Amino acid sequence: MDVLITDDSGFMRDLLREILEEEHNIVGEAENGVEAVELYQQEQPDIAFMDIVMPIKDGIEATDEITDLDPDATIVMCTSVEQAEQMKDSIKAGADGYITKPFQKESVLEEVNSITSG
Amino acid sequence: MEIDIRALETYNKLAHDGAQSAVKSLSQLTGISTRVEVTDVSLMSPSDLQYEFIGNEYAGVSIDLTGEIRGETVLAFDEQARTAVTDVLVPADDPEMKKSSIKEVGNIMTSGFIDGWANHLNTKIKSSPPTYIEGTGTEVLPRSATEGDSHLLVFRSRVEASRGGVNEPVDFRILLVPDQTSLETALEPQTDTSISFEKLEVFNEMTKEGAEKSASNITSMTGIETSVNISRLSLVPLEDIPAEVGTKRYVGTVMEFQGKLSGYLIILFDQPSGRAVVDSLVPMETEGEWGEMEQGALQELGNIMTSGFIDGWANVLNAEIKHSPPKFVADIGSSIMSPIIAQIAQTDDHAFLLDSSIETDSDRVFTCQMLALPRRDELEEALDEILVENSGNTEVDPNDLF
Repeated sequence: MDVLITDDSGFMRDLLREILEEEHNIVGEAENGVEAVELYQQEQPDIAFMDIVMPIKDGIEATDEITDLDPDATIVMCTSVEQAEQMKDSIKAGADGYITKPFQKESVLEEVNSITSG
Repeated sequence: MEIDIRALETYNKLAHDGAQSAVKSLSQLTGISTRVEVTDVSLMSPSDLQYEFIGNEYAGVSIDLTGEIRGETVLAFDEQARTAVTDVLVPADDPEMKKSSIKEVGNIMTSGFIDGWANHLNTKIKSSPPTYIEGTGTEVLPRSATEGDSHLLVFRSRVEASRGGVNEPVDFRILLVPDQTSLETALEPQTDTSISFEKLEVFNEMTKEGAEKSASNITSMTGIETSVNISRLSLVPLEDIPAEVGTKRYVGTVMEFQGKLSGYLIILFDQPSGRAVVDSLVPMETEGEWGEMEQGALQELGNIMTSGFIDGWANVLNAEIKHSPPKFVADIGSSIMSPIIAQIAQTDDHAFLLDSSIETDSDRVFTCQMLALPRRDELEEALDEILVENSGNTEVDPNDLF
């Protein structure tokens, strides 16, 4: 499966890449919401992992833009934010799943399987 | 119980003036030059107050107060301060006379602390004869700070002193723990700036839960077992905040948060702790400097800790609180705080400081301090809106929504 990773932290992008690349194909890494939208259009990934707190454009805004461009986009928020209101905003923007940091490798892979199989 | 925030500020100012008066007395008696570093009024659980005293030897006086303000005052010198005072006043090797000198110095200093309150209230606050106290840690604390589990409103001053021009800091603390009834009288709302004491307690508990979540996030990411040892909510004059943080060197992150509550969150690791955290996050040889990789790792940890800390507030308030990406800082504590204080000082002269200390379970080798400075008017508004019965809802499971 083609995966796009978006996180402003290089450390976190590395961590996610290590977890995901065993089973999936990483097609791009974005550092902010603007880059995420551009890379999404360019690479058309099967699934996009999206951080929320990022400079320039946050992950909820980027998710909103991506789902406007592609209503079938599959987006998993991958964030440290655990606020009900921001989770609801993510759902409104079109997110399909939500993983909270710090995460375990298994929970990331389970989320991917659950979303893609459901 | 409703308490008046402006009155609390006034009492904080009185406590500061009282501490000034106390150190002046000490200087006159001993020739030791002194400086009041910090005076604040903190809402703390007895266990958190006790933790601050654990492990150190103290000597001083305990005085019971009656009248308009009832309660207990303790003035405690740490071992170095006690020696400094008694060496000057009783050079001879006479333990009883040394005790007596501490008792008298403590008595004079405490009077200086209390009298301003009495004058402000146009009333009498009677002090009991001083009782000499000596012991380790909690043995010297006021009784009300070791009995029961209700939060305490504690007025604290930390003073540093030096002798003969030599930079030899000595430390003592003045604690005033008023009883609940006299607090109700003294802080009875006179203006529209009252807040509920119960809600302050709830908010303090929520903050402690947030800090515990942050500590657990450190453990998940680094494997270093940590827990929250102290969590307190203080009303502090802005100019005292840099001194509150001190002059040790720290590394950490600064974040601004916005939404229902806005303000700043500062996460500070002492240098060895910061290095330990980064070493466990970035398992490769580094040159001991704070390069891009190390800064990035610390920023991401700060990001995750911040969410752990503030998300509980947002969930209880049914609101959003967003935070900025973390900014890496490496400097002495007071220098890190100064630009933040300058920002807040444009609108306020006091701030609510939420201060949580995270340490390793086994020892104090690893320390991390989390300091939150919410905008005062917004915190007062948020406290007004908090539903006490909703205070347990700090955590949300994404699976319940997705």
